[in-house]
Amino acid sequence: MSTITASSGWLAHWRQRLWRLAPDDRDPVVLRHSRIYILPTRRGLAVMATLVIMLLTSMNYALSLGFALSFLCAGMVAAALLATFRNLAGIAASPLVAGEAFAGGQLEFTLSLASGPRPRTGIEVAPRDGRSIEVDLPAGATRPLRLAVEARRRGRQALGRVTASSHFPLGLWRAWAYVHFPLTGSVYPVPEASPPPLPPGHLGSDARRAAFASDAELAGLRDYQRGDAQNRIAWKAVARGAGWYTKLFEGAGGSGAVDLDWAELPPSMDEEQRLSRLAAWILAAERETRAFSLRLPGAELTQGQGAGHRRAALIALALHPNT
Amino acid sequence: MKRAKAKAAHARLSRVQTGWLAALLLCAQFPLWPSVHPWVAVAGTGLAILRLLPPAQRFSSSKLRGLLLPALALIAALGIRAQFGYFLARDPCVEFLYLLVSIKFLEARDARDGSLLICLALFLAVTQFFYAQSLFAALMALPVVVALGANLASLRSGAEVRADWRAQVAEPVRLTLQGIPLAIMLFVLFPRLAGPLWGTATDTAARTGLSERMAPGSISELSLSDAVAFRVAFVGPPPSPRDRYWRGPVLARFDGREWSALSRLKTGNLARREGPPIDYTVTLEPHGKLWLFALEHAVGLPHLPDEEAPLRGPVSDIAFLTYDQQLLARNMITQTVRYAQRSALRASVPALEGDASDNLRMPPNNQRTAAFARDLRARVDSDRAYIDAVLSWFHSDPFVYTLTPPLLDRDPVDAFLFDTKRGFCEHYAGAFVVLLRAAGIPARVVTGYQGGEMSLDGDYMIVRQSDAHAWAEALLDGQWQRFDPTGAVAPSRIERGLGAALPAGEPVPYLARMEMTWLKSLRLHWDALNYQWQRGVVGFNVQRQRDLLREVGLDNARPVQLAVAVLGVAIVWGLLVLGLSRMRGAHVDPELALWSRACRRMARAGLVRRPDEGPLDFSERAASRWPQWSTAIRSIGTLYARLRYGPEREQRAALLAQLRSSIDALPGAQRLRAQP
Repeated sequence: MSTITASSGWLAHWRQRLWRLAPDDRDPVVLRHSRIYILPTRRGLAVMATLVIMLLTSMNYALSLGFALSFLCAGMVAAALLATFRNLAGIAASPLVAGEAFAGGQLEFTLSLASGPRPRTGIEVAPRDGRSIEVDLPAGATRPLRLAVEARRRGRQALGRVTASSHFPLGLWRAWAYVHFPLTGSVYPVPEASPPPLPPGHLGSDARRAAFASDAELAGLRDYQRGDAQNRIAWKAVARGAGWYTKLFEGAGGSGAVDLDWAELPPSMDEEQRLSRLAAWILAAERETRAFSLRLPGAELTQGQGAGHRRAALIALALHPNT
Repeated sequence: MKRAKAKAAHARLSRVQTGWLAALLLCAQFPLWPSVHPWVAVAGTGLAILRLLPPAQRFSSSKLRGLLLPALALIAALGIRAQFGYFLARDPCVEFLYLLVSIKFLEARDARDGSLLICLALFLAVTQFFYAQSLFAALMALPVVVALGANLASLRSGAEVRADWRAQVAEPVRLTLQGIPLAIMLFVLFPRLAGPLWGTATDTAARTGLSERMAPGSISELSLSDAVAFRVAFVGPPPSPRDRYWRGPVLARFDGREWSALSRLKTGNLARREGPPIDYTVTLEPHGKLWLFALEHAVGLPHLPDEEAPLRGPVSDIAFLTYDQQLLARNMITQTVRYAQRSALRASVPALEGDASDNLRMPPNNQRTAAFARDLRARVDSDRAYIDAVLSWFHSDPFVYTLTPPLLDRDPVDAFLFDTKRGFCEHYAGAFVVLLRAAGIPARVVTGYQGGEMSLDGDYMIVRQSDAHAWAEALLDGQWQRFDPTGAVAPSRIERGLGAALPAGEPVPYLARMEMTWLKSLRLHWDALNYQWQRGVVGFNVQRQRDLLREVGLDNARPVQLAVAVLGVAIVWGLLVLGLSRMRGAHVDPELALWSRACRRMARAGLVRRPDEGPLDFSERAASRWPQWSTAIRSIGTLYARLRYGPEREQRAALLAQLRSSIDALPGAQRLRAQP
């Protein structure tokens, strides 16, 4: 991360300055002339070639007005160069949020773009491997920008270098600048497609059934989601025609806590299969609102429940070191 | 606000984009209407309009598309080939391009077609200057620039955007205006060529002017044109109207019907001056031939006007004098040229060896004329008396000067002199020379212009095509002498011009008429403007460029120095344009700038803020790293957080000042790093 320091030398400094390959940008990054590149687009090249041919024709036939027309157009092309540069220059970009996703899904990063004193038109922001986004900004506006990148492999995944570009106003020039924030998201392992049921919890099955029967522990209802256990559906509500709801129960004791333990998985499974299985179980436990604890080699989560716990567990899976 | 990036290159052209393309095409085609054949003009513009009729995708989507372009292009090429009889020359190619842009437009489907069309139309726009470089032509080219910009803007913003058309015009217009200083600099400094890069095909059909042949009707046809042949600025007072003979092609060969030039490449001697010289500068409109016109008789060779030394000696780098006193340029006059010339009204032109025999040849027809001449010559005692007799015969017999003489067939001179007696100057000059040759006097036809009208403020003289004239020259006493038989028939033609000489009802061109109406005065004003335009803009060539560079003291600059100067001006221009639009760096909130400064300093000292670390957390960590400055560091963090996220709007200035002084209290990175 400290490639700029003297140890890497002059060459590395310039390589970083030119290509921004290391995530060294601190927020906010203001796009200035030192960062902005500009080259003609294909259409720009075609128009310039036409202007050259017009100029040659004017020279050959000594057409003064041909010169005038060519140079008037050339002046417009040159002014477009400046306008394209100006459209990009002065934009401030800052990193906001690095997202999390299951491998194979879309990892979302949020940047913010501030337009500064001028309105901006057609700013395209593209992560290295992902869909680009085009945005217009009025003067003085700051906009969050969600960049979706394909979550490739379990673990940490950096947003990588982002290219902000624009070919406003005439499409003759394309100005671009690289921004490389140290923004890293977490990629969870892919949950196993059809995992075996959760390992048995601390309470016996009779006790669990008894717990389900007792309405006293009902904490509330939420909208039914596909995959919710049948015995949790608020059938009374369905019968009344009020819609589909799922019953929520209070506390870990209600659903029977489970221990998800790496070591108890069948020894035939390899590392990633185990992580997939555990991920699927974490989701299942969450779906069934059962508390769970997670034990990995080198990491342990005590029993808990809820979105924060689930996330912590999934991140633990994501960050599980490869052996 | 956000939209997925459109694959612009493959997106179908929207109606707005199609409309803009049509506008560009029409802007480029319209100025060419008078110059191309009518069927080409109608077909080209018709095809472009056809594309605009709904349904919009009629031609672009069907199976026809693959065939449409080649088939129509082939038809267009064949049609033009049939029209001209040749294809690989400038004019047929211009007409082909004219049709091609419309054919391409008809089947244009996506943005890439749009790009191609823009380039083709842009080039088509420049071809109009082959035919006219008037002020009007320049004005006609301006919409092309605006339409070009609007097309580029609409192609850029993508097919799905329905932008306001005024916005799409305003931006290109603004850019064009910004580019004008650069355009002017390039126009002035871009190197001009003295001659063409590659051979310019001889496309002279479209130009009006004298030719190397004179058949009955050729000059009278010319007389119907108001077009300017050349303009003359005199150093002294202009000569009187009766002396305004502008010598052009000399025709000595007669085939019984048509006069043509002898093809001799002999140089001649300048006339000997016998009176005061007249100095003037001619601005000659391009006529695609070699002739330069000079007042009779030229006593010096034409040379490029030089502001410092107005008239130099006989050495000329642009023209030479032929044996028959014609001034021929070294290159074809395909652009407006200016040259300085010296003439004298009284001068002697001695005959050269061979002149007498060359100018006595007669074809065997027109026997009545020959018999009449021999008879008349026998009755007088000298050649001069004979010429006087012929002229007085022209004067006394009922000869009529008319633009619409009857057609003459096998023996045209016989029929004209003895039957119809109605003719224009070419009839009189031709018949006169035949009469002289039949009597043994060497004579030849001289064509050129006779007359000229002073501009309103008397600065210069305009000589129009309607002043085209033919007269005769006879070799008497070893000297060539001018005789104008038209003057014997219609003296007012020589004194007052065509309009005065022709009977009422003849189709005289408007400006050749005598009455000074407000319309004519308007036309003269317009001509004065055009004259300045021709001199200043259209006539800006190598030589005027050199003059201008000398005036600003750059005449000795090497090309490298000029290029550096151009680059320098371009950079200054760029900075000005950027500066004009308030390019003062980006706007960054002051507290953010101060906070970044503090963070950078600590980063250099080895304490880098983690991206997920807030200002308070980081300042706490920094305070524990450097306990001796913990107060300042903590206050930096708190102040920044308050300014950035707090509600204080009123105290911003005070807080900012505190933040600034806290940062100043923090020692430099070197000292920080040195701390254990």
